[in-house]
Amino acid sequence: MRAVSTAETATTIHPWAIHAEALQVRAGRHLAVDGLDLSLGTGVHGLLGPNGAGKTTLMRALATVLKPAGGRLTLLGSPVDGRTDLRTARRALGYLPQHFGYYPRFTVREFVAYLAWLKEMPKAAIPAATQRAIDRVGLSAKADARLKTLSGGMLRRAGVAQAIVNDPQVLLMDEPTVGLDPEQRLDLRELLRDLGTDACVLVSTHLVEDVVAACTEVVLVNEGRLVWQGSPAALVAHGDDGHAGDSPAERGYSALLHRHRAEAAR
Amino acid sequence: MTLYLRARRVPLALAASVGAAALIWALWLVFSTDRDLGALVVVLTVVLMVAVLSTTLVAPDEDLERTAALRWPWRRVAHLLAALAVVLVVLLATQPTGARFGPGVLVLRDGAGLLGLTALCATVVGAARAWFLPLGWTVVAAMFPQSGAWGAVVTWQGQPPSSRPGAWVAAVLAVTGVLAYALLGAARRE
Amino acid sequence: MSILRIELRRSAAIGAAVLALVVGVAALYLAPGRWSQGWMSLTLTTKEYLLLLWPLALAAGAWQGRREHRARVGELFDTTPRSPVRRMLPVLVAMGAAVGLAYLLVVVAGGLRIASTAAYFPPDVVAIVLVGAFSLSAAAWLGLGLGRLLPALVTAPALAVAGVLLVFFTTIMRPDWLGAVLSPAYGSNPFYPFQTIDPRVTGALAIWMGALAFTGVLLLVTRSPYARVAAVLPALLGLGAGAAIVPRDEATLIAPVDPVARELVCTDDAPTVCVTRVNANVLETLTPLAREGLAVLAKLPDAPTQVHEDRRSFALPDEMPAGNDDIITITVRIDDRGGLAHPASVVPEIVLSLGVDFTGECQRNGAVERAAAYYLLGREPVSDVGVVPGMISEDPLLNAEAVTLWRGLRELPSSEATARIAAVRAAILACRDTTGMLSR
Repeated sequence: MRAVSTAETATTIHPWAIHAEALQVRAGRHLAVDGLDLSLGTGVHGLLGPNGAGKTTLMRALATVLKPAGGRLTLLGSPVDGRTDLRTARRALGYLPQHFGYYPRFTVREFVAYLAWLKEMPKAAIPAATQRAIDRVGLSAKADARLKTLSGGMLRRAGVAQAIVNDPQVLLMDEPTVGLDPEQRLDLRELLRDLGTDACVLVSTHLVEDVVAACTEVVLVNEGRLVWQGSPAALVAHGDDGHAGDSPAERGYSALLHRHRAEAAR
Repeated sequence: MTLYLRARRVPLALAASVGAAALIWALWLVFSTDRDLGALVVVLTVVLMVAVLSTTLVAPDEDLERTAALRWPWRRVAHLLAALAVVLVVLLATQPTGARFGPGVLVLRDGAGLLGLTALCATVVGAARAWFLPLGWTVVAAMFPQSGAWGAVVTWQGQPPSSRPGAWVAAVLAVTGVLAYALLGAARRE
Repeated sequence: MSILRIELRRSAAIGAAVLALVVGVAALYLAPGRWSQGWMSLTLTTKEYLLLLWPLALAAGAWQGRREHRARVGELFDTTPRSPVRRMLPVLVAMGAAVGLAYLLVVVAGGLRIASTAAYFPPDVVAIVLVGAFSLSAAAWLGLGLGRLLPALVTAPALAVAGVLLVFFTTIMRPDWLGAVLSPAYGSNPFYPFQTIDPRVTGALAIWMGALAFTGVLLLVTRSPYARVAAVLPALLGLGAGAAIVPRDEATLIAPVDPVARELVCTDDAPTVCVTRVNANVLETLTPLAREGLAVLAKLPDAPTQVHEDRRSFALPDEMPAGNDDIITITVRIDDRGGLAHPASVVPEIVLSLGVDFTGECQRNGAVERAAAYYLLGREPVSDVGVVPGMISEDPLLNAEAVTLWRGLRELPSSEATARIAAVRAAILACRDTTGMLSR
C-alpha cells in the first residue's frame, strides 16, 4: 500500500473546476443529460430545474459515478472518460447523494473517518479532519452516537460532514437541505458560503430560496440542457407578476423556464 | 395482494427455497443409490426452506403497513400456513420420483415446528435474523441426535418420526410461534 | 481511530468469532471423553467439529458481505479514490483473523484440560490445527465474496445449510482422496489412539482452502461480470493442485498410524509393564495394578512376566508377531480426565484370560476359565457385567456353571487345583478344548 504524497493531495489551481462540453449522460436507457455546456469555478452554484430535468444524473456524472455517454467532461483538469485514472480528482471531491446510504451501526465519527480513509487522506490527518468536519456541521454533541439513532436532519448533516471531511475542491450536494429545520437550513447556508470561498460548490435543490440566499451563481437546467446561468439578482430580475411563484426569485425561475419551453417548441 | 407479495420479496424467497430443494433432490438422484433421502438431508432441507421463506415475514416499512385498515393477525396466520404448504407440497411431491423426501410425518413435524420457532424468533429479533437460532439448533440436533427423555426434547428435529417427545415439542413450538407472530408481528429491526 | 478497529467493532467479525468459540467449546466439553486421551485426539475432535464451524463461518461471511448492498453505500463509495481491493482489506482481515483465532482458542480451551495428562505432542498437530484455523478464515472470505455476489437476505441461511451438506458429504464421500482434498473435517474419524493425518493430506486441504479464499476475495473486489465468472478459475486450479499432491493409497489416507505414538513405553524394572507412548501418562497408575495381576498368575508354572497394552486394531492389518506367551496384552482405556479408566478392572482382565490372548482362532470355554481365574483370585466367580468395561449382559447360566466348577476346585488340595489350572492353560495355548478339564 503506497502512501499518498502531499503533492497529490495539495490543491492545484485549475481554470475551471468543472467543465462540460456537449455532455451527454444516460440514466438507464434514457438520455437524461443531452448536450449540456457548463463551466463552473470557485463559488457556490445552485442547480435548479424541474423534476426530470436531469439534475441528479448530472450530479452523478460530475461525481464520477456515471460515465458520460458523449461529449466532454473535465473535473479539476482530469478528463472523465472511463479511461483516465480518476484517483487524483476523487481525492479532492466531496459528494452527498440524494439518497444518502450509510452504515447504521457506525457512529458519526466512525463513518466520517471511514469516508476520510476512503478518500485516501493521510492516516495521521484523519482524526483531526473528522472532528473539524463534525464541528462545522454542528454535530459535535452527537459525534459518538450511532447513525441509526439520528433523526433525518442530523443524518443529513452527517452526510454533509463526510462530504467536506477532505476539504474538497469540488463539492457536490444533491438536495442537502432535505429534512432540515429552518434553523439548520440557515446554518447550512452559512457553511456553504464559507466553503464557496475557495472551492467549487454545486448544490442541487428544489428550494429556490436556498439558492438565492447561499449561492453566488444560479444554473438552471431543463430537459438535460442548460437553460440559463447567472447571478441570483439577475434571476430575480427576470421575474414579473405575470408568472407563478411566491417570491421574486421563484417568479424569475418560472419565467425563464417558460421562455425556454417556448423556444424549444419552435 | 400482489403488492403485499412483492413488497415482501416473496418471489425471490420462493424461488430460492424451491430451487434449493430441487438442487438437493437432483444431487441425490445422481449420486446416491438409495431411493429415500437420509434423514439428515431431509431435516436440513426442511430447515433450509423454512429459513429462506422466513425472510418474507416482514415488510420494508412495517409501521406504514400497521396503519392500514387490514386484519393483520389472520393475514399473518395465512402467511405462515402458506409457507408450511410450500414446504410440504414441494418435498412430498418427490414421493413418486427416484429420490424421495420423507417420511411425510418427519417433514410435517419438523416443518411445522421450525416454522413456529422461526416465527417466534421473528417477533423478537426481526425477520432478517429469525433463522439464526432455528438453523443453528437444527444443524446440531440433526447431526447429533440424543436419546433419552431430555435428549429427545433438546434434539427434537433429529428424532425418528415416531418419537412422541419430538412430536410434542414440535407441536408446542408451532402453536406458540403462530400465536406470537399473528398477534405481535415481526420485530422492527435494521 | 484505526479502520481495522472500526471494522472489528462494527462488522460481524466479533459476533461470528464469539459464536464459533462458544459452539466449539460447548461441543468439546459436552463430551470430553472423546478427546481426553491426548493432543491428537483433541486435534481430531476439533477438526470433526469443523462440520459445524465451517458453515458458521461461511454464513457469517455472507451476512457481512451483504453490507454494502444493504446500506446502499455503493453510489457514495464509487466517488472515492480507494480501490475496491484496498477498501475491502480491513473487513477481510477482521473477519478472517477473528474466526481463525476463535478456532485456535477452542483448541487451547481443550488443551487446558489435557495439558497435565497428555504425554505426547505429535508434531503433526501444529499443521492440522493451523490449517483448521485457516479453513475457517477461508470460509469467511468465501462467504464474503458470495454475499457480495448475491446480496439477498436468503443467501446467508442457504449457504449455512449448503456448507453443512458440503462438509458432511465430502467427509464421507468416495473416492477417499477427493474427500481428503475437499473436506475440512476429513480424517477426524477416530479408529485408534495412535492415528494421525498425513502431512500431504493437510497440505492438499490447505491448497483447496486457499483457492476458495482467493475466489472469495475476487468475488468481493471485482465489479465486472467477466471477472466474477473468472473467479471460478482459482477454485478449479486449487482443486487440481490439491488432487495432485494428495496421496491415493488407502494406508496413508485412512487413519495412518503415527509410529512414534504407537511405540511402547516401558517400566525400567521387572516385571515389565508397557503402554503406548500416547498413553504414557497412565503407566504409573497401571504398573502396580498390572504387577498385582501378574503376581496372581505367578502361581502357575511358565506364567507370563510382562503386561503390554493391546496395540492391535480391527482396522489395521495385524503385523505384530502372534502371541508371545510371556506377554499379556490388555486394553488400556482413558477416562475423561485423562487418567486410567476402570482401574478396578485391570487385575480381573489380566487373570481372567489366564495369560493367553484371545485371538478368536481357538474355541474357549468361558465357564472353565472363569472358575480357574477366580480360584487364583481367591473369590467366588461373578458375572462379567460390572467387572469388565463394556459388558452389558450375560447368560446367567455361564456364571452358574463357573461357580459350580469353582466349588469343585476348592474342594481339591491346592497343588492338585493349581496343576489342573496349569493344564487348562497349556491346553488353551495348544488350542485344545478345555471342557471338563477342571472337573475330572
